[in-house]
Amino acid sequence: MVIGMNPIIAKALDEGRYKLLEHESFELLRQYNIPVPDFALVQNVDEALKAVKDIGYPVALKVVSPDIIHKSDVGGVILNVNNDDELRSACERIRNNIREKSPYARISGFLLQRMVPEGLETIVGATKDPIFGHVIAFGLGGIMVEVLQDVSFRIVPITEDDARSMIREIKGYRLFNGYRNILARDEEAIVYIITKFSELLSDNPNIAEADLNPVIVLERGKGAYAADARFIIGST
Amino acid sequence: MILMEEQRTDLQQGKQMDVMIASPLDLLFNPRSVVIIGATPRENSVGGVITKNLLTKFKGKIYLVNPKYDEVNGIKYYKTILDVQDDVDLAVIAVPAPAVPKVTEECIKKGVRTTIIISGGFSEVGEDGARLEEELRRIVQNRIRVLGPNCIGVYNAFNGLDTFFLPEDRMGRPRPGPVALISQSGAVAGAILDWAARRNIGVGLAVNYGNKLDISESEILEYFARDNRVKVIVMYMEGLKYSGEGKKLLEVMKEVSSIKPVVVYKAGRTKAATGAVKSHTAALAGNYEIYHAMLRQANVIEADNITDAFDMAKALATQPLPRGNRVLVLTDSGGMGIQAVDALDMRGLQVPELSESLQEILRKQLPPLAVTRNPIDLTGSATDAMYKFVLDTVLPTSYADMALIIALMQIPGLSINLGNYIVEARRFNKPIVVVSFGGNEYVAKFENNLEENGIPVYHAPHRAAKALWALYEYAKIKGVTKEW
Repeated sequence: MVIGMNPIIAKALDEGRYKLLEHESFELLRQYNIPVPDFALVQNVDEALKAVKDIGYPVALKVVSPDIIHKSDVGGVILNVNNDDELRSACERIRNNIREKSPYARISGFLLQRMVPEGLETIVGATKDPIFGHVIAFGLGGIMVEVLQDVSFRIVPITEDDARSMIREIKGYRLFNGYRNILARDEEAIVYIITKFSELLSDNPNIAEADLNPVIVLERGKGAYAADARFIIGST
Repeated sequence: MILMEEQRTDLQQGKQMDVMIASPLDLLFNPRSVVIIGATPRENSVGGVITKNLLTKFKGKIYLVNPKYDEVNGIKYYKTILDVQDDVDLAVIAVPAPAVPKVTEECIKKGVRTTIIISGGFSEVGEDGARLEEELRRIVQNRIRVLGPNCIGVYNAFNGLDTFFLPEDRMGRPRPGPVALISQSGAVAGAILDWAARRNIGVGLAVNYGNKLDISESEILEYFARDNRVKVIVMYMEGLKYSGEGKKLLEVMKEVSSIKPVVVYKAGRTKAATGAVKSHTAALAGNYEIYHAMLRQANVIEADNITDAFDMAKALATQPLPRGNRVLVLTDSGGMGIQAVDALDMRGLQVPELSESLQEILRKQLPPLAVTRNPIDLTGSATDAMYKFVLDTVLPTSYADMALIIALMQIPGLSINLGNYIVEARRFNKPIVVVSFGGNEYVAKFENNLEENGIPVYHAPHRAAKALWALYEYAKIKGVTKEW
């Protein structure tokens, strides 16, 4: 149990921000042992070239800015960067894109993030209901959630049993057990992420909305990662 | 809590104790004395129906308060509650809303600890009413416990406490029995009791909490969990209203479900209905998905409508829990048998084919046209003895964790005595439900015999299947099932 407000959230509110920056979101998840890809916040090409030595290729490069909501719309995301040359030009390209499409946006830096191997894309989200408090949603990524509304919900705090039953409740659950040439997925890794996420929400009542999207679930025994995260802060 | 239960027992035995404090909810459901504020001899009024109900049925002391009367038919009326000399366990308030704050103050002064405020005209009618409710809230805070306002209160078939202000010729009263009802809607509660009375379903306790100024469904659930007369709790809810109370209800439901089954029907599931819920209960209807999640998480059994809820409650109140999901379907109609298998399969229950050796035993005794794989179809030449033979042969085996028996009594070979055979099969300690269909008196006699002896009867295979499903769900919750 965290006593008082989490410093990451406190800092954002101090700066008048109601949305955590990408690296802040990752750091918050890390505090709760929720696996995220290795990452670093860098300011320029030199820092990026230095950081990538620890992280290792391939990486994704994303602009970090309090003023940009949809990064890919302004050309702020480049995936599958494989070597130093590509990394140099990626930094350059993102700067140019932003200058052109969103000239007044403040740039806090670049997020360098290890590319996660491909896996089953899922979404773990949270909203705050006035009656029930934090409610966690789980579903498969992409159109499964949006078109088919194949989502299950549980109310925080969530036990491991609750997490398991919410995963098994969705229609797409069959994909977790493998199908034809698709290997079975690491269900327990997602159970762990959901219960840790529940703990994170319990400790931080002022989180109004959160999305771990996508959470990539690898083959059984190989884990799962939150490849992207978004936190909106509200009132307690 | 358990301590209070003991204290109550001691109280009933008249023991002297240093601390003889009944809980406020004990006083709500099991008071020794009741005062009706707003009592009246005028029969077709709210206060009048309550007065008549209590005078004719309540097994305890009754005091009537109404300044307009001194004495009617030899019964004394008091000017105010303060004029009553004796101690009062429960005050029932049925006066116009503007007078409620004043008489509530008087109840507090009198030392009354629990009250039912029947009167409407509070937050449910708009801003003026909401202001009055706030005034009332300030008065009662930590000084007296309140059910309501704007409710029809409590029905207790065991002691005759009945504040449901619907006349007896309009709303039948169910016999004392193992089902307890908690309803957010008063009118729905009244209709349910009338319906249950007609079908001879024993609903021992029922309560409607109205605007929920103070006593909530959570607290009532906790109380019913401790009442040994209650075997199943049925809840009708539309929506919660206070910030954060969802979590509390979830916790309580989870705890209560580990003690006894709770069946919930949540109305207002669609977007179209949420507006209606809001104006009806002044509650935020919220997203049904979240309620659905809460019910799953709380291990309660969700019903799709009221009939469903009582179909399941009837089985949960009378049947042992199954150890697995295998069902013996025994029928005298192939068509009904197929319908039962469909309904069972859709709910995840199995109808396993019997082993060849078991079928061989059955074939030796059954007519050549009978089907023995399961469903077992005795066909139109079925007799009472054939049903008995199959039950006695198959129920003890691992092929049957429970039985769904279809008996269309129009067949000449069947008699009322079949009911006795089915009742005898209870000795195998496996759940049994019966499907019967028809309208003649003979059929009704057969059905009544079964129900009176603890075998629930349904008028359609899918309803019986759902009842078995509820038993299996609760068996899983209690952890008594074994994996196959």
